[in-house]
Amino acid sequence: MLEISIFSILALFMIGGSIAMISNKQTVFAAFGFLVAMIALAGLFAMLNSQFLAIAQILVSVGAVVVLSMLTILTVNAQSKSLPQEPNKTKWIILTSILVAPFTILLYKTLTTLPDHFSTMETINTKVLGKEMFSHWVLPFEILSILLLSAMVGAIVIARKSKKKEDNTTQTNSRERSRP
Amino acid sequence: MSTVAIVIAISSFLLGTLLALLTIPVLVWLERRIASLIQDRLGPNRTNVFGFRLGGVVQSFADVVKLLLKEEYYPSHIKMGKWLFMLAPVITFAAALLAFMAIPFADTLHINGEALRVQALPIDFGVFWYLAVGAIGVLGVIFGGWLSHNKYALLGASRAGSMVISYELPLGLSILAFIITYDTIDFNAMVQWQSGVFFGFLPAWGILVQPLASIILIVSLFAETNRNPFTVAEGESEIVAGYMTEHTAMKFAMYFMGEYVAMNTASAVIITVIFGGYQIPWVSTEMMLQNFSVFAGVLMITVPLIVALLIRWMRKNNTVRPTVTTDSGRNFETKVLTIALLAMTALIEVILLYLIFFAESTLANSITVMLFQIVVFVAKLMMFNIFFIVIRWTVPRFRYDQIQHLGWYYLLPLSLLNLFITALVVVGVSS
Repeated sequence: MLEISIFSILALFMIGGSIAMISNKQTVFAAFGFLVAMIALAGLFAMLNSQFLAIAQILVSVGAVVVLSMLTILTVNAQSKSLPQEPNKTKWIILTSILVAPFTILLYKTLTTLPDHFSTMETINTKVLGKEMFSHWVLPFEILSILLLSAMVGAIVIARKSKKKEDNTTQTNSRERSRP
Repeated sequence: MSTVAIVIAISSFLLGTLLALLTIPVLVWLERRIASLIQDRLGPNRTNVFGFRLGGVVQSFADVVKLLLKEEYYPSHIKMGKWLFMLAPVITFAAALLAFMAIPFADTLHINGEALRVQALPIDFGVFWYLAVGAIGVLGVIFGGWLSHNKYALLGASRAGSMVISYELPLGLSILAFIITYDTIDFNAMVQWQSGVFFGFLPAWGILVQPLASIILIVSLFAETNRNPFTVAEGESEIVAGYMTEHTAMKFAMYFMGEYVAMNTASAVIITVIFGGYQIPWVSTEMMLQNFSVFAGVLMITVPLIVALLIRWMRKNNTVRPTVTTDSGRNFETKVLTIALLAMTALIEVILLYLIFFAESTLANSITVMLFQIVVFVAKLMMFNIFFIVIRWTVPRFRYDQIQHLGWYYLLPLSLLNLFITALVVVGVSS
């Protein structure tokens, strides 16, 4: 009973955070909703006895993603009036909700069976995870590493190119501006 | 779970909480007194309760009362998100407090085949816990700074955020080097690894085994905790008070206390990872338990010596200038404290005597060793906190671009190089 109540509280926080994230016009509150949702998700992982996954969730989603997005918000300073106008937003939300409605059966199945696993789930500690990752899942792990590396290199290449262009444009702009 | 297990779990949780919270007034007092020492003045030393000054610690409690009773002021230009504006300091404080919980205060107790961790949170992935939870703290700074709708606060928040992002990398990489060396992500196992001997005579402390990674770890933790020389986020010479410009009374106090708890946590991580944690050099827990009578005898000699020195120092210093006629209760305070210290020493001596000659159970012995390790931990923690404070009052603040330069151009390549060398050496040794 205790587990189910904690689960419901975490799930409520997660749903509330997610809704706040997609519906809020102020970017900072959207980021806060994302933060709440991610911490609640980490709590759900912890309830399934995979504490390492919970901590990794906080480390990656909160420590990296939310901090970086907040930094973007700080530098961009997006006002709610400069965001794109979405007059049919509520209509779209209702339409897509109807479209994904059949999948709620899956959700229902998961939600009804999930609390049974809280106590019976085998504890996934770091040792088990590490051994599994480097024996059974070593090929996917390496492929993922290469993928991430290529993504990083790609990001650096894109950033350098755009920087050069920006430099040129700013130079021309300043020249144009300096002309009377 | 046996009764002992429950008692140990609850008391270590209480110890963790109290150690994090009760060090705040002590640290504030230490900060002010050490600042005065460096600037050749006395600092706060007159506030007292019935004549008890305790060297001035009482001043911090007076400060707490002042901050609680101050007017709660909200800037009128904050139209929306007042709740998040108020919540932001709490996020910083709570993250720093939670990060402290993974630190082991003493070695694992083995009682009737049960292994009991003396840790507020008995987890075996403490390093990840610290990195994950410690990173949430900066979010409070960013939220608070953004919601202040103030240019100075915004600048301070963005400085704090970008500094944390650039110093998280060297911090993580230097901790990774320690993880490879110690072959664990458990703080307690790290301390146990450091109880060995290195090169035959040196204690195997992280600072001697991994000097470069240790220095990188210390520098990046200074940056992570927003302490000098990395206080650009609240640089009062440039941006008023940075992210806490608009925060008043208890909201400001939350940021302030969060900074001290974060500093305390950083000191705890530093001593746990690179200064042997709760252990004194060359002596491991098993050695103390096996030669318990020798250990107790040494304690019985050293404790009175330390107390005698303390009393002598107090008698000499807890006085007023000869020109002042009223001593405002200082002699009385010295007398009471002397009696209390002597009674405490006598109690310790009696308990140790009983343990040496009469007690048969190993439980009491291991609990004594545990208490001794907690005392060693707290002493080391305070020493490192003093190091943090001395750095703050002796090194001038870096410029913002210098900080980014140091992080990206020196610490990151150095930590990568160190990681590479560590991996080579560890593979070479093990093969």
